Amino acid sequence: MTPPIIKAMSDIATRLTVSPAPHWRCGRTLNSMMRAHLLALIPALVAGIYMYGLSAAATVGLAGSVAVLTEVFCLKLQKREIDVDNFTALYAGILFAFLLPATAPWWVTVVGAIITITLGRTVFGGFGCNPVCASLIGWAFCRLSWPAAMDIDLNLANFVINEPLFQLQKFGVDTLSQFNYTDLFLGKQLGGLGASQVAALTVGGGFLLIRKWIRWYIPVSFLLGVGAVATLFWAIDPGAYAPPLFHILAGSTMFGALFLATDTASSPVGKLPQFLFGLIAGAMVVIIRVYGSYPDGVPFALMLTNLLSPLLDRVRPKPFGGR
Amino acid sequence: MLRIHYSLESELKGGIADIDAPQELSVQVRNLVLKTAKRKKVGHGEIIAEHPSQSGGAFHAAASGTVRDLDYHHLVITCDESGEAVDPADVASMAPGKELLRTLQGLGIDIAVLSSHAEMLVINGMNPEPGVSVAEQLLADEMKTLEAGLEMARTLIEPKQVVLAVADTKEYQLPGASMKAVKPKYPHSLDALVVKAVTGEEFPANTKVMNVMDLYALGKVVQTGKPITETVMTIDGHNYRVPIGTTIRHLLSCLDMKVSSGDTVVLGGSFRGEAVYSLDEGVRKGDYAMFVIPSDTFPRVEDVTCINCGECVLNCPARIQPNLISRYAEYEKFELAEEHGLHSCFECGLCAFSCTMRRPILQYIRFAKDQLRASGQGKQS
Repeated sequence: MTPPIIKAMSDIATRLTVSPAPHWRCGRTLNSMMRAHLLALIPALVAGIYMYGLSAAATVGLAGSVAVLTEVFCLKLQKREIDVDNFTALYAGILFAFLLPATAPWWVTVVGAIITITLGRTVFGGFGCNPVCASLIGWAFCRLSWPAAMDIDLNLANFVINEPLFQLQKFGVDTLSQFNYTDLFLGKQLGGLGASQVAALTVGGGFLLIRKWIRWYIPVSFLLGVGAVATLFWAIDPGAYAPPLFHILAGSTMFGALFLATDTASSPVGKLPQFLFGLIAGAMVVIIRVYGSYPDGVPFALMLTNLLSPLLDRVRPKPFGGR
Repeated sequence: MLRIHYSLESELKGGIADIDAPQELSVQVRNLVLKTAKRKKVGHGEIIAEHPSQSGGAFHAAASGTVRDLDYHHLVITCDESGEAVDPADVASMAPGKELLRTLQGLGIDIAVLSSHAEMLVINGMNPEPGVSVAEQLLADEMKTLEAGLEMARTLIEPKQVVLAVADTKEYQLPGASMKAVKPKYPHSLDALVVKAVTGEEFPANTKVMNVMDLYALGKVVQTGKPITETVMTIDGHNYRVPIGTTIRHLLSCLDMKVSSGDTVVLGGSFRGEAVYSLDEGVRKGDYAMFVIPSDTFPRVEDVTCINCGECVLNCPARIQPNLISRYAEYEKFELAEEHGLHSCFECGLCAFSCTMRRPILQYIRFAKDQLRASGQGKQS
């Protein structure tokens, strides 16, 4: 039966909005979410620029703008609405830049930002559909293609301090006495230009947690995973493996916990799945740091665990009243 | 951003006020069996339509008048003094049985809950949704009628135990009913969760639940023998007795409220109610609130892709995955939606409430349920 057309009732002077329930909403939008996330990156950005100089700002600016332009281009090709004003592309680009050494060659930054958007997001259907955190795809592509250009120690050889994870991998635990935890926490270590600013990232991530833009399940379980597995190794042989607090403070562990692992699309949705996701990813970080051939295990650990997300989401409680 | 209170606590401001008698009544008659015709005279309380289902209550004119307009969707009555009021039926003295049930149905009561026995009867005395205070108002002011309603429900359902669930900040008693305090926070007021709070079980068999508004309607019918022609609504924090069919335009002018183009007018609750499309729409039976929401209060609903942030899953009291179910519904895979616990949903609306992308998740869930119901009916016939 074709439903009869309901004629407009007599008065059309007041045209009401008809929308589905619920009629009260929390008022959050994608735009406000991304603005909060960008705001949360600012402390680390400032700390990065303070430490590495204007080249850090240049890298972030370049990656961000290239990511936005690539997104515009991709949306044009797909004949979709150009919605880069929701800041998601900018955010992905900046996350990618945060993983780079501050003096990374400009062409690596550009290629990486393009890969972040195209391979990371567009091929899967755009923002929100990516199975793996987009910025990590860009990072991994560059890391495997141009190892020298992406190498932290090589790029930043003019600094007196060293990259802690590189020291650990190449020269063993004994060399770690050159770092103290306060310095590591305050970001006095070589690493990705924003990714190693532990204190500043904690401030930004704390802001997101307090405003409930991200939930605590993933960050906390991620750090728990790192801590637990690191403790395990350390307990086996303190002379061969680094202490757990070192693993938490060195490299991009905090960045991964607060910003990369909590990427909406590539992380699970449920409470328990998110917790398991964090634990597995955290455990993988230390395993890769101990056995892997790359100093920092965070990006690869997260990419691998991202692929487990759909599987983890099958761990779900019985529905209300379910059998 | 407007601060949202999930709280169901209410400050009662005075009693239940009356609304000026409306000049015109507009009743939705879609899918109903009409019992009157255009230009016919109807008396106050005269039946105008019956519900096609076995248990649904009939609909009555809330005032005497003439049927001015009648189409597929609406029946409009111009009120005058011409029609004769119907005589009250003597419900109170009838013995329980089929005849009593038919009489109640004819007077506008939905008898689905009354037509079989159960071991436990839960009276849901919680304010149904944030911003609505009808339930507590009735408990505070209309105890006599509620008791009459409960008496009738008791004779028909014959429960071994009756429990009244009320907000833990309030003290209300119904005779013969034990009391259960529930935290006054949405969605604890929904029937499924109230029953769980009382019995500890989810969707238990042999337990029936009635809310205070329905109990009040039943009590009113028992006391007066007259059909249901009014509903008690919360509007802007105050409670009013509103004849069914009163147009929203009339309500707004009585209460001196302004609506401009682009605003949303909601009949029913803030979370589960329905937005109306015209000010000439009439108040329906069972509506317990009206809200006027200015157009700039909330960001607009958008039908965009889900980004998997998980807020709906983390907020769902039914422990289902609205993100998946809404996608299944979107692509018409209703059976898959069913497999993922569609029928566990009791439509609180918290998923869509907290959705960052502002997807109409609750709408998709209701759509899937409707489609499944419709396809089930198709198979049977």
